[in-house]
Amino acid sequence: MALKHVECISLTKQYISRNQKVTAVDNINLSVGKNELVLLKGRSGAGKSTLLNLMCGLIRPTSGKVMIDNDCITEMPDNSLSRLLSEKIGIIFQSFNLLPTYTVYENIEIALANRGSGHGVNRDNIFTLLDQFSLKDKAALLPSELSAGQQQKVAIIRSLIKEPAVIFADEPTGSVDEETAGEILNHLLYLKRVKKVTLVIATHGNISENVADKVYLIENGRVIG
Amino acid sequence: MIYITKELRRHRWRTVAGISGYVIATLFIVLLLSVTRASEKDSIGILKGTGTHFIVYIPSNTACCVSCDNESSDGSLIAEGVHTLMLNSDLLASIKEISGVRDVAPYLLYRIFDPKLQSEVSLGGIDTSSLATRNNVCAVTNLVAGRYLSDRADEVVAEESFARAHRLSVGDTLKTYGSRLTLAGIINSGIKPGKADLYAPIGNVRTILKEKMKCISDGFDMNIVLVEVTDARIQNSVIQQLKERMNYLAVSSYNCYQPASEVMNKMEGTTTVITILIIFFLIIFSAKTQLTSLIERFREIGILKSLGWSNSRLSMQILMISVIQSLTGALIGIISGYLLIILLNSHQVRLYDTLQFHFQPALLPLLVLLPLSGGMIAGIFPVIKLYRTRAGEMINNYM
Repeated sequence: MALKHVECISLTKQYISRNQKVTAVDNINLSVGKNELVLLKGRSGAGKSTLLNLMCGLIRPTSGKVMIDNDCITEMPDNSLSRLLSEKIGIIFQSFNLLPTYTVYENIEIALANRGSGHGVNRDNIFTLLDQFSLKDKAALLPSELSAGQQQKVAIIRSLIKEPAVIFADEPTGSVDEETAGEILNHLLYLKRVKKVTLVIATHGNISENVADKVYLIENGRVIG
Repeated sequence: MIYITKELRRHRWRTVAGISGYVIATLFIVLLLSVTRASEKDSIGILKGTGTHFIVYIPSNTACCVSCDNESSDGSLIAEGVHTLMLNSDLLASIKEISGVRDVAPYLLYRIFDPKLQSEVSLGGIDTSSLATRNNVCAVTNLVAGRYLSDRADEVVAEESFARAHRLSVGDTLKTYGSRLTLAGIINSGIKPGKADLYAPIGNVRTILKEKMKCISDGFDMNIVLVEVTDARIQNSVIQQLKERMNYLAVSSYNCYQPASEVMNKMEGTTTVITILIIFFLIIFSAKTQLTSLIERFREIGILKSLGWSNSRLSMQILMISVIQSLTGALIGIISGYLLIILLNSHQVRLYDTLQFHFQPALLPLLVLLPLSGGMIAGIFPVIKLYRTRAGEMINNYM
């Protein structure tokens, strides 16, 4: 199913830290068009990651809405959200979030485990992607046996294997060396160009604005530009 | 299911630790219940036999009563120092019908003044096979010298105090009751309501009284009924029923059933409380073990949720892992406990040198169900949290 857009409407996230109310995301309105690459830029602690987590439904907002394909994911029942995460949304975490006791292959495979029998795990697809990311010979290794860059690639493959319509990536190049960062970015751009995937990337600045269709500058939880 | 077994295998040490918790808890409860139940069984077993007996007779103010024509013998049917009337053996069946009565036995107790011995001599005719006799009069276990009663017509056993007073030894011949009686053994029956100086099988005593003492009444069966109840705690109720049905009877008990009954009630209450506490402990322990294991997995569960795993699927996984671990642990614990009890018993290990460990097969379902319920209870909290928490919160809170 083609993605129309992602839209944040008056999105606010507050939490209590050391008995003080902290506003991480403050009344943000933004939209992402189909097959766009949108950068959420800002310094550390600006609220980018929180905004990204809100946009893909990983956390609940204090107020406001997130619409994906005209579905309000903030008010969506858990089962529907799970289905959305399983079928349409790919998430790439800054800290990879691979399961440490699962092999590379299994870490990718589990992303498809919640799909119905018609969407069974296709070993060939997994090995094709591993091959594309030069990780075919690492399939049986544990994440701890890989470099940070390789782990990030596995995390990317894990999100790609579902063939999502939109990928939310939190500092995808933040924990890797420059060469690997370039390689990862090229893969993401390839996805946008060839697979028509929509990309929402949070970055503190190591991804050039030139590659983006839109850039939102975030500071103190607000869009400032 | 494949992910559940994979999860259990991947986190091998966590799984082993989880199962070990259940093994230890189950093993502990098997031993504790074994000891508690053994203690209760042994102690209450002793107390149950304390004060479970009493005697029944009809007092009379006439010596020798109506059944005896040998006035010169100066003899009389007696019970607890008073003259009694004869009783018909039909009474035994009537008393046995009363709820709570375990055993009844006839007893024929006669007393004469023996001029040769210059003292009164009481002769008790007993049913040697009866439990009621053993607890009310005397038993083979009371033997201090010689042997117990046989079927020989001329044999008697004497109370130790009587034998000492008349300087009697095993094998001596005693000329009394118009007979020559051989002393087969000496017993010390302690304080018993039906105590006599000499004892012989009731059939022999009937013969002696009829043929030698010329007591010729028909239905010359007995003058006392010995009664044994099933439990000291119901003795009072049995006596009440007896008095309601046959108010002409005198009932005599040493009343030691009252403290025994109180102690038994307290012991049963204590055992029940201890058992409940053990069960409670096992559930809490199981729940804690499982909860700790699940909290450690929370971040991973958050990652799976972010990949689109549904709450129902994750809940099922959490509960199944809990169930598999608790069931495996419980089964290993039960088998280990059983083997340990066998080992302890084979080496004659006893608690306080007396209490033997008893494996309770009847508790098997309980021993399986408890850790299982503990595991389920432990699984419920993470499941509730799983439904209430979004994936990002689970990942970030436990990062």
